[in-house]
Amino acid sequence: MSTHAPAHPVETSSAPAARVPTPVIGPRANPYLDIESYEAEGDLMVLNMGPQHPSTHGVLRLKLWLDGEVVVKAVPYLGYLHRGVEKLLEKLSYVQSTPIVDKNDYVASMTNELALVMAFEKLEGCEVPRRARYLRTICAEMQRVASHLLWLGTFALDMGGALGGGTTAFMYCLRERERILDLFEELTGARFHYHMMQIGGVRHDLPAGWDAHMKQVAADILARIPEYESMLSENPIFRARTRGVGRIDALLAQELGLSGPNLRACGIDHDLRKSQPYAAYDEIEVRSAIAYEGDVYARYVVRVAEMRESLRIATALIDGVPSGPIMGRKPIETVNAVKPPAGEAYVAIDSPRGELGSWVVSDGSPKPYRCKLRPPSYHALAALPYLLPGTTIPDVVVILGSLDPIMGEADR
Amino acid sequence: MNMLFGSPVLHALILGVVIISALLGVTSYFIWVERKFAGRMQSRIGPEHVGWKGLLQPIADAFKLLIKEDITPKSADRAMFNLAPLLAVTVALLSLAVLPLASGLVIADLDVGVLFFLAAGALTVVPTWMAGWGSNNKYALIGGMRAIAQSVAYGVPLVLAALVPVILSGSMNLSHIVAAQAGGHWFAFWPIGPGFAAGILFVLATLAEGNRIPFDIPEAESELVSGISTEYTGMKFGMFYLGEYVHSLVGAALFVTLFLGGYDGPGPDVLVLQLAWFLLKTAVVSMLLLWVRWTYVRLRSDQLMTLCWKYLLPSGLVLVVASALWVWWKQQGGLA
Amino acid sequence: MIGPDAVLLARDRFGLESSDLGPTLPRERLLEFARALYGAGYVYLVYISAMHHPAAKQGETEVPARYTVVYRVRDLARGLEFPFRCEVPLGTGVPSLAGVWAGADWQEREAFDLVGPVFENHPDLRRIMLPEDWEGHPLHRDYAINTPHHPWR
Repeated sequence: MSTHAPAHPVETSSAPAARVPTPVIGPRANPYLDIESYEAEGDLMVLNMGPQHPSTHGVLRLKLWLDGEVVVKAVPYLGYLHRGVEKLLEKLSYVQSTPIVDKNDYVASMTNELALVMAFEKLEGCEVPRRARYLRTICAEMQRVASHLLWLGTFALDMGGALGGGTTAFMYCLRERERILDLFEELTGARFHYHMMQIGGVRHDLPAGWDAHMKQVAADILARIPEYESMLSENPIFRARTRGVGRIDALLAQELGLSGPNLRACGIDHDLRKSQPYAAYDEIEVRSAIAYEGDVYARYVVRVAEMRESLRIATALIDGVPSGPIMGRKPIETVNAVKPPAGEAYVAIDSPRGELGSWVVSDGSPKPYRCKLRPPSYHALAALPYLLPGTTIPDVVVILGSLDPIMGEADR
Repeated sequence: MNMLFGSPVLHALILGVVIISALLGVTSYFIWVERKFAGRMQSRIGPEHVGWKGLLQPIADAFKLLIKEDITPKSADRAMFNLAPLLAVTVALLSLAVLPLASGLVIADLDVGVLFFLAAGALTVVPTWMAGWGSNNKYALIGGMRAIAQSVAYGVPLVLAALVPVILSGSMNLSHIVAAQAGGHWFAFWPIGPGFAAGILFVLATLAEGNRIPFDIPEAESELVSGISTEYTGMKFGMFYLGEYVHSLVGAALFVTLFLGGYDGPGPDVLVLQLAWFLLKTAVVSMLLLWVRWTYVRLRSDQLMTLCWKYLLPSGLVLVVASALWVWWKQQGGLA
Repeated sequence: MIGPDAVLLARDRFGLESSDLGPTLPRERLLEFARALYGAGYVYLVYISAMHHPAAKQGETEVPARYTVVYRVRDLARGLEFPFRCEVPLGTGVPSLAGVWAGADWQEREAFDLVGPVFENHPDLRRIMLPEDWEGHPLHRDYAINTPHHPWR
């Protein structure tokens, strides 16, 4: 663990101590509050944190009813980035679908592809060679670091504004993220939408010297994380803004289907890398970070700890990448090459935002019959009507940022 | 320096024009310094291409703002909407009238100088509020409301902190306050205690009055889009921007006058040297305020109020009493 | 892994055999089954979704169009998972499970919006992804991907 001990204890172990997940605190906010019959202290004002806003993390419309500066009711409106991805996946074949889902969670593209491709492989019964599984894991973990770096930068930006201390943290985090994107560019040729995963393996093999480069980048980022912590966790203003704000109790989090750091900050040790190991996670020990307060600070602390853990996993795996093929089936050369037998499969992975799953139904043709993507951001946004009532406008921005929603995957 | 042309009116007019023009020029380049400084803090360079090392950037920015379309919302309150940016710069410049830049080099040597600049400081909320109301925009309205709450609240520690040098020097005339600190006896460091703490209080209150991070909730860009200046475009927005920087510089200059000895410094009592010391100290204090701005995130509105009413106000009261006691003790003979 | 207690619950109290995809519940007993599962500890809702099967001819018989609503829940404390589903013909509603799992609210709204099944007793059944005045449900198998719709503003 770090030398800068955060105020909330964070445990990273495969078997965390027997502490109680965040208990229920008071009655649940009513998201269906009848605003006509509400008696306000002052005047009720309707404020649209509209689709265009510096801090809504994409196009999200939040209709807030405010009593002074306190939120009484919050209704999120989604769909501004709905592109009909699920319909498109039914129209395109299995082979053509990988670049489409890249654009869902555009911050962590590899994980979208991984979830979809693994579902196709489960339908087909295709075996993925060991080398490909190692590469998938390394890419997924570096992708997690890159995603959390972007989250951290924008989270600080939400609090400090574009002309202030938030920008400084943002610049530092993006500086590190650029190095990871350089790594990926060396590997796949692209900075954002990689198209790395293929049904049965991965598309690109490691170029010469990539492992040394990766280890250098990982070591540099690991050395820089205390710098971010000194700017943020040790800053009393940051702590005052985030501690005790936006608490979710463990039961509500589970009913909503929250996952990933949002759930692990409520004291529940649910990590799909451990409970349903995929890729090469069964060959390495994964220690997930758990915090018990369920507030914004806990989510922040969990994500920073996850960054450290991901760097450790990637560095540990890169040395032992086995040799062998990177594809478990013959090369895909035609559009209709993949025709899994009729059936259904649900596969979920642990993306930086939580449980990213795909439920695919096949009817034996080269195109999926139904392909549902289960985005973690959608569930995180569903928590907003429960979390926002009773908070003030600055808190709205901070809570929204801490849930790490990406509208691309929430809307698809 | 004696009255120019023997008349206080002409003296004030000519000196005023000179000093204000100089200040506006300095402010534009202060913006350049800030951008370079912030850039280096964020491991990037800042403006580099417009002119050598970006030195023409402020001119380019001013030109850009001048040629932008001036949009007024249809349902905005025109009088308030158009007047607010003008007042923003004017009110920020008011305090300059009583600042002694060197011995005798002051636009208006008022005997109630401290009272004057405190009143001018209190006025800064008026253009902010006018912008918030006149824009007919919910975000601007919230920004304006926050501005009033913040300004009224932080006016109190500002007054209390400014009282400490008044008590220690026995006069509200800023030139006398500077003279009382002559010879290196700056109030921030001597007497140990009340002056230093009052200095910190003054800095915090000035940051809050000027809506600088970490107290910039009226203009909280990540929550309120642009807060009070949401609906402003072109040069009107430029006026707000300029007003904010002018306020920051003038606030730093006031801090230097009250707590850091003004134009006092080692060396002979020559006008140019005194002016140089004054400018140097103001520059250092301004850079410190910039450093704070680019490091901290902003406080939430209720936390900001809590800080003021529960911590700064009682501290201010204690400091005023402490400095009064110290003066009385000195008069009783002190250590002698 | 699939929760054995849920399999037993489906068989003993509801007389249903569970395949790999879980039991298929009749719509009348769906809410009861959901409450029983929640009481048994399955408080984590993974997803609720739906798919549309168009009318088809199976030999001589005409199979009408129907919706399949799929559910998946987990018990994190014991590490168990349980899928189940419900099939209804078009026009028949499915009871809403928003009173059991808080997350079912938005999941059912999305399924209604894109696929079509109406959820009865849902606290706020509105479209969520598409504009409020959209006609039709795009994920119907016979909804053409380039069906024209008036310009959104």
